[in-house]
Amino acid sequence: MKNTVVKIDNLVKRYGELVALDHFSLEISEGEIFGLLGPNGSGKTTTINCLLSLLSFDKGNIEIFGKKMAPTSYDIKKDIGVIMQNVAVFDELTVYENIDYFCGLYISDKELRKQYVDEAVSFVGLEDFLKFRPKKLSGGLLRRLNIACGIAHKPKLIILDEPTVAVDPQSRNRILEGIEELNRNGATVIYTSHYMEEVEQICTRIAIMDKGRKIAEGTKDELKSMIRNTETVNIELIGLTDDIKAKIAELPHVYSTEYDGTKLTVCCSGGKHNLIRILGVLQENDLGFGRVYSELPTLNDVFLEITGKALRDDADSAKKAAPHEKANKKENFR
Amino acid sequence: MQVFNAFFKVLRSKLGIVLIYMIVFVALVVVMTFTDTASGMFEQERLSICVFDEDCTPESAALREFIGKRNDLRELENDNDTIIDALYYGRVDYVLTIGKGYSAKLAAGDTDGLFESKRMHDSYSTVYMGQTLNEYASTVSAYIAAGNDISAAVSKAGDAMLKDAEVTTISFDNSSGGALSLRSSFFFRFLVYVLISLTMSTLCPVLLAMNRKDVRYRTDCSGIRPNSYTLQLFAGSIIYIFLTWIVLMAVGVFMNGGMFEGMQLIAVLNSFIFMVFSALLTILLSSFSPSINVINIITQVISIGMCFTCGVFVEQSFLGESVLAAARFMPAYWYMRVNRMLDGSETYDGSLITQALLIETAFVIAVGAVTILIRRIKLSDTSALIAGRVRA
Repeated sequence: MKNTVVKIDNLVKRYGELVALDHFSLEISEGEIFGLLGPNGSGKTTTINCLLSLLSFDKGNIEIFGKKMAPTSYDIKKDIGVIMQNVAVFDELTVYENIDYFCGLYISDKELRKQYVDEAVSFVGLEDFLKFRPKKLSGGLLRRLNIACGIAHKPKLIILDEPTVAVDPQSRNRILEGIEELNRNGATVIYTSHYMEEVEQICTRIAIMDKGRKIAEGTKDELKSMIRNTETVNIELIGLTDDIKAKIAELPHVYSTEYDGTKLTVCCSGGKHNLIRILGVLQENDLGFGRVYSELPTLNDVFLEITGKALRDDADSAKKAAPHEKANKKENFR
Repeated sequence: MQVFNAFFKVLRSKLGIVLIYMIVFVALVVVMTFTDTASGMFEQERLSICVFDEDCTPESAALREFIGKRNDLRELENDNDTIIDALYYGRVDYVLTIGKGYSAKLAAGDTDGLFESKRMHDSYSTVYMGQTLNEYASTVSAYIAAGNDISAAVSKAGDAMLKDAEVTTISFDNSSGGALSLRSSFFFRFLVYVLISLTMSTLCPVLLAMNRKDVRYRTDCSGIRPNSYTLQLFAGSIIYIFLTWIVLMAVGVFMNGGMFEGMQLIAVLNSFIFMVFSALLTILLSSFSPSINVINIITQVISIGMCFTCGVFVEQSFLGESVLAAARFMPAYWYMRVNRMLDGSETYDGSLITQALLIETAFVIAVGAVTILIRRIKLSDTSALIAGRVRA
């Protein structure tokens, strides 16, 4: 059985009346790439800040590497690497100096540090930019520098908070491959992102958060099995009447039908011959159709079904989030 | 020592600003020294004037004599080409012809058409000469109208107009025997501006870069203790400021023409106290995490404002009482008082020097205390963090 690297137990964090984390619990085992998903304001960043002891909490307990995490747990912090959404480097230092500085906060031995920095440079492919200052780098290269600064000291636990925001597909692919390589080299990874396909691609286990609570957890397949949707049938056709649409809606396992004038979308839960039955109804009514395709549920479907489709960045959400953001700013940075 | 090393690496990007300040400072001191040495006395400008007397009377001779007392009289051939050549090549500035009947007209109180003049262009001096001649004729006319005969009127008018206005020039020279040479006096005077500007415009951006939100977040995630981080930054700041001061003192020694000694060491101590004040003020300012633009504005306001009101750019003796009363609440005023006593601009008073140095030190302690207070308030977030943990 693998060791537990992170154990969050019943964590509660309040910002005044707003409950940012509501009895949140989580266990992450060694060697996992753990995806933490959730809409904006769901509590992902608060969880990470609590995990890193940069933020106090009202109730609960956090253990990392089997030890209780506290602001003074410097021995634990030495084995954690953090890569944030924002590029956190010095504009005044070169690429090499930046990586060396952040690595040096963990590794005091000069020789070892040099070796680690060289390895990190090579890992992110910045060999040709060592003497460049960050302002001279493109967005993708900056992200790679950001990652190098976070992993140069070879941490056992790497926390990545939306590291691929505003990155082109090539750089994103490179970053994801890098994360998988770090994991293969023995690091446990906590990964937060809004890009479901990324999480689906690299994460071995996923937790979905909303309103400070964990509302689902498991592997990709486990999560997909939790939702009602098992198959979405799409048929391109013209002239579908309400009567025929109603007949399709009454078929076994069909729980939702949508027609926009050119495409019929039918959502099914369970069943093996949904497509045949739907096409049968169309043929019975002498209705021709074009392209027909069936989709299995994605993580995106899981996410939307579990967290709902309502926008999270509307005015009400912003109003609610305001004290949270303010308190976060005040408390996070010493 | 990673933070300490990074501090100096970030500071390296500000080296250009340091050099610019140093060069401008040295140039300013040298220029001011030479400018002041050359401007010791006042002298009225003398024109080269050629006078043709066609009247040949004692009155016209008296006018010629009057003109000659304030100007240099030149002889020229009374030929139009010669006169134009002389004016063109600057051999004379003004050619005056006293017309025939000058004396008779003057005696009759008629001042129109007494002279004719030729000049190359309307320079300030030649216009002034024309005005002087008109004034002379009017004065003679006034004396005649008052009942004097013409010879007495000419004599009195000449005497009245030759009375000099009293002009006093103020020199910054230490002829009164101060401990500082003129150049050293200027050096220590402008040091106020350089110390405060240099410190604020270089140290403040470095401290802000080191405490930039995202960078600090990442640093806080690492194994480094917050106290160690602050201590390394503080040590870097102190060493940088001290090194800057040492370099400036070396420049001062060079300007002084030898090591500072005796009473000059008081000026060195004075500058040291002001240097500590500048450093603490900078650390205090950076505690509020302003933007670079705000820093630039604050630096200009504090450095230039303090220098103008405390007697750095303008002598304290030229400043009004109300300005000086307000300046007493700034350390630069007391710094300048010490300087003035050392360079002989003010009477030396040992107890007043001690008092001024103590007041400066009090400013240092006050700014230091406020800085610590602000830092403690900032650190209270960390305390809250730990308290939260204990509660949990």
